[in-house]
Amino acid sequence: MNDQLKLLLEGRIVVERGPFKLDAEVNVKQAEIVALMGPNGAGKTTLLEAILGWLPLADGQVLLDGQTLEVHGENRTVPTHEREIGMVFQDGLLFPHLNVMRNIEFGTGSSSTHVSELLEPLEITNLVDRYPEELSAGQRQRVALARTLATAPKLVLLDEPLGALDVTGRVIARKLIGNVLRSNGAGALVVTHDPADAFALADRILVLEGGRVTQCAPPDQIRTRPATKWVAELVGWNFFEGDGNGSLVELADGVEIATAHRGLDGPVAVTINPTAVALYTQEPTGSPRNSWHCHVESIEFVADVARVSLVGPFAISADVTRAAVAELGIDTGSAVWASLKATEVGIQPLQG
Amino acid sequence: MTPQLPRLLRLAAFVAVAVVAAPLFSLLWRIPWSELPRLLSTEVVVDALFLSLVTSLVAALLALLIGIPIAFQLSRMTGISASTLRAVATLPMVLPPVVGGAALLFAFGRRGLIGETLDNAAGLVLPYTPAGVVIANAFVATPFVVLTVESGLRALDPRYELAAASLGASPLRSTLRVVLPMIRSSIVAGAFLAWARALGEFGATITFAGNVPGRTQTLPLAVFVAMEADRDAALAMSLVLVFISLIVLVCLRDRWWPAK
Repeated sequence: MNDQLKLLLEGRIVVERGPFKLDAEVNVKQAEIVALMGPNGAGKTTLLEAILGWLPLADGQVLLDGQTLEVHGENRTVPTHEREIGMVFQDGLLFPHLNVMRNIEFGTGSSSTHVSELLEPLEITNLVDRYPEELSAGQRQRVALARTLATAPKLVLLDEPLGALDVTGRVIARKLIGNVLRSNGAGALVVTHDPADAFALADRILVLEGGRVTQCAPPDQIRTRPATKWVAELVGWNFFEGDGNGSLVELADGVEIATAHRGLDGPVAVTINPTAVALYTQEPTGSPRNSWHCHVESIEFVADVARVSLVGPFAISADVTRAAVAELGIDTGSAVWASLKATEVGIQPLQG
Repeated sequence: MTPQLPRLLRLAAFVAVAVVAAPLFSLLWRIPWSELPRLLSTEVVVDALFLSLVTSLVAALLALLIGIPIAFQLSRMTGISASTLRAVATLPMVLPPVVGGAALLFAFGRRGLIGETLDNAAGLVLPYTPAGVVIANAFVATPFVVLTVESGLRALDPRYELAAASLGASPLRSTLRVVLPMIRSSIVAGAFLAWARALGEFGATITFAGNVPGRTQTLPLAVFVAMEADRDAALAMSLVLVFISLIVLVCLRDRWWPAK
């Protein structure tokens, strides 16, 4: 959706820390919010710190708004404080010896008109005289965001901005932060663990695993075409690796899955939306090619949906309605038939 | 609730406190309380007290000026280089003060490595002057600043500096507006300890600055001299030193060691 906008941040970030190596391409367009996700230790915070110039690049370069900030092997590195990149830390990291107003004004020159415009939307107007230790985690987080935005950075980096908040605070803060970031017009790169945050806030999601980018796509595509097992688990999809053979995929445990694809050859990844998995108490008639006799391992209810985890020839999850669970009369240990249309099977090349 | 100590340990602590307190108690016991005003208002005592207060305060400031940059440098170093620099910077704390005073003479004395140049270039002579007292005091007091400030810096989350930098603060501004205010309790503790150490300085002072009444004779030197001539005066001056030291330590209770 932002293809016509020009790139704000263009970077190839390579950082080496002992045995760990981060090597990631990262781009953020003007006014775009990109969520950065990945398992613990994937290098998310390292990536942010390298973009800020806090960690030296072992290779690659960072460009912001067409200006070169850093190129590996060249001396003209723009220091952190001249990069016009703001960072909001997980715990806010407000300066404890300054009150809220002085914290927010810390990075601004003399112009404080911009500051007053930030207080209202972030709902911190009546906190300006307090000290950080007198604030709740959510308030600290919003003050930290105001402090960063007050400097009018070209790019805002947010490291788990909602991580320290409880569920209610999270929803409120997510909305506030989203609104403010969107009206601000700067680009933003947000590290988050919570897919709900990423889907609510982001135009694009960048997935980092083991120091490498494994997927970078809009939220809808992440949701429907997860590229790795980690992403699939994140969005609740079934993800299998197997060997393609014509229109069949053979999994490691011997299960064959029929697909609507042709000419498959070699290792592929199979993604299956759990809502596409249908459950029956009897063997399905008309025998769809994909049907397996399984046992129910567990049933978890989220709102009106039941996530049914099945074990049998292989482990697969099905999402059915609460009503369907009652109708089928299944419970932990029940025997069921799981079936799947070949057209519902997604195929992707396997990531290195 | 804090768990109770074993009875044997409590007994040992009681005996130990008694042993530590005995000299102090004996001192207080022998003090001629009614004579105090007269004893403390003699010229020698007033001069020594005044000189001690001024030189120890100036020395404490000098120790901050020298110690804080060293502490900053140390806090950024690791491994053998950090240990070496720390050893050099804190050596005056464990060195016999007389040796320190002798070393100062070899450096700043009239024929000293730096002293000769100072004398020739600016006519500046440090030994046997009040300035020499300050130098000797600062020399032994600086390690206290280095150690307390370095530990304060090491305890500070380095991401505060990253936060300051990401808000556009230059390293200098970040140091002045964020780091120094955040470690101010360490700086205050270091300053108090340095001052207390300077106030009680004896060996380096007498070696480097001599013992000239009214010029370089500080309170501890005056006490030493009075022990030979006038015991009561020595006791009175000792009381002043005990009193000041106690006040410093009580004021520092939360800063020198983390208390609840």
